[in-house]
Amino acid sequence: MTVLSHKGILGAGRYRGVNIGKGEAETARAILRFMLRLRMCEEALALEYHPADEMRCPVHFCIGQEAVPAALSVLLRKDDYLFCHHRSHGYYLSKGAPMDALFAELYGKHTGANGGLAGSQDISFPSRKFFSGAILAGATAISLGAALGCQLRKSTQVTVAGFGESATDEGIFWESVNYAAVAKLPVVFACENNNYSVFSPQLKRQALDNISARVAAFGMRSTAIFGNDAMEVYRTLGKEIASARAGEGPAFIEAYTYRWSGHYGPESDDLVGYRSASEVQAWKQNCPISLLQEAMQRGGIISPDETERIEREVTAEISRCFEFAKSSSFPTLPDWKTLNSSPNSPMADKLLAEVELAEFDAQQDSPQPKGY
Amino acid sequence: MTGIAQSDSSRVATHVTTAAEHPEISYGDALNQGLRQAMELSDSVIVLGQLVDYGPGVFGSTTGLVERFGPERVRDFPVSESAMTATGIGAAVAGCRPVLVHHRLDFMLYSMDAIVNWMALWRFKSNTQSSLPIVIRAIVGRGWGQGPQHSKSLHAWFAHVPGIKVAMPATAFDAKGLLLEAIFGENPVIIVEHRSLFTLKDRVPTMPYRVRFGRAAVRRVGGSLTIVAMGVMVPFALRVADRLAAIGVDSEVVDLRTVAPLDSETVCASVEKTGRLCVMDPAWQSFGVSAEIVARVAERSGRALRSEPVRICHPDSHTPMSSALEVLYYPEEQAVVDRLRSIVVDG
Repeated sequence: MTVLSHKGILGAGRYRGVNIGKGEAETARAILRFMLRLRMCEEALALEYHPADEMRCPVHFCIGQEAVPAALSVLLRKDDYLFCHHRSHGYYLSKGAPMDALFAELYGKHTGANGGLAGSQDISFPSRKFFSGAILAGATAISLGAALGCQLRKSTQVTVAGFGESATDEGIFWESVNYAAVAKLPVVFACENNNYSVFSPQLKRQALDNISARVAAFGMRSTAIFGNDAMEVYRTLGKEIASARAGEGPAFIEAYTYRWSGHYGPESDDLVGYRSASEVQAWKQNCPISLLQEAMQRGGIISPDETERIEREVTAEISRCFEFAKSSSFPTLPDWKTLNSSPNSPMADKLLAEVELAEFDAQQDSPQPKGY
Repeated sequence: MTGIAQSDSSRVATHVTTAAEHPEISYGDALNQGLRQAMELSDSVIVLGQLVDYGPGVFGSTTGLVERFGPERVRDFPVSESAMTATGIGAAVAGCRPVLVHHRLDFMLYSMDAIVNWMALWRFKSNTQSSLPIVIRAIVGRGWGQGPQHSKSLHAWFAHVPGIKVAMPATAFDAKGLLLEAIFGENPVIIVEHRSLFTLKDRVPTMPYRVRFGRAAVRRVGGSLTIVAMGVMVPFALRVADRLAAIGVDSEVVDLRTVAPLDSETVCASVEKTGRLCVMDPAWQSFGVSAEIVARVAERSGRALRSEPVRICHPDSHTPMSSALEVLYYPEEQAVVDRLRSIVVDG
């Protein structure tokens, strides 16, 4: 297992290891396109967030953390499950859910992915088997069940859980690792270690920064990688997803990365003093997009023209999405009852008999002999 | 009280059957039969819980299932209630109909995050695009020194949260029918089963049948007092009603069957007839289901009340272990009879 740490990565300076293997050119193009689209989407949202204040929900931007969602976008099938945390936009897009419904959701409109009920940190797109949630580590455990369902059907579907290293502060994370390992579930845990739980660094919350080693001790394949090398992330996730599909059980991947923006919202929270300007700068030097872009240019895989074309396309898409979100109407008063509980039970209707309750209720009108 | 459900959505004809045609079996066996039939009816039904695949089978309710359906569908789970509930959620998302079992409700509290932050609002936050057909069976203990960590019935907590249905079957018939309704419905359901009910017997249809949520049963018809009870308090209420009848007080006993949804109509109709209300809730008195029922009656039928409502609950204290104190902690039949007699006769 590669020994990595935030300290080590910072000390190593500019990363020079991005390697695009033979036959990976198309994949690299797709990954780069995804990362550019995600970065531009996030930057556009951040720019529009304040002072317009039309997106009235907490938004956790993932600028700087594009590589894991990008790799998943080329690795996951439509029928695979993806559960993730509050920093959800990259994962949402990685499952092929539409950007316009994401924007409309942030604006609280009825055309949003969830009709404006969920917002950024709870967004889902069930038809693409994508779900998120704001409570740390909850989704890591829910992924077990989806994987179990697929395992029982003997399908080759895989479930991926995307979360941050803070989720490993939670007990349920370790329960999940244990059960995934003991039941050999087809689940891949993708941990984006960005070192901070809001402001609090990992080594203030955990005695050791060896999450991947601890996971390995539970009997699960476990790998730590530099998470801003998108090709390395792709290859590692790809290998583990393929193994999980093949029935070889779960895996854990710890991808070291860094959040450029504040914990939430578009403003920097660096004034709190929890991280240094030089640290932020060092990580920006290792931007996952420029690292890949440079490697692709070196290898003649992409030209500046092509990058510009992608940027033009994405710019147009983003303005369409804003237009769509802003022009959509707000939701109207829902039926609170059916919103929270299904009024229908088609399976019970089909399978269960109706009996004359009064006939049986009448048998219960005498005191039972026991009962303490 | 009519027992025939609306047939608008039903494709199964109402069975014309009389109770006498069906065998008397215990509450525990009825649960077992319901689970077995559900697993036969659909491969999607799975059972998760500690020790569900051993002979004792959670007080008999899961005995024999692993032999019949195999260890993939009848799964002994690590002592990780939190992950177990989350696993149930994910499995339901992926098309399973999981039934989770807790020997004691108290252990289930490890999974409150999964229940309240995820399960309850899954359908809501997906804007009804994704629902969770998941059943959690939680057993409540009493007696033999179960003490404060083996005896809590927290149905009010769960009933308070939108998106969760809470059933409290008091009879073997309801235990099976509500379980099947829960398994083949589309919503999360918590079934609170009282351990002391497991040996009670009554007539249970042999076929898989449903008992719909939110339809209370009038277990005993009477004119001068309405006793609303749930779960383990139903047989208690029936015994009290019997003693009251012996001294000329004629009471009606309403078994709620489910506390969420709560059948206010049946309760209020009864109170409007009798003019008196007593709620028997096997839980602490403050902020519980008993308060909710009194409030609903006050709102809808308050003018019909001829005397102050009475609540028979547990003291606002944790459960003592010593048998000497248990006797003082739980409601005592004769004391309740005396109190209810006084509100009817003197009130």
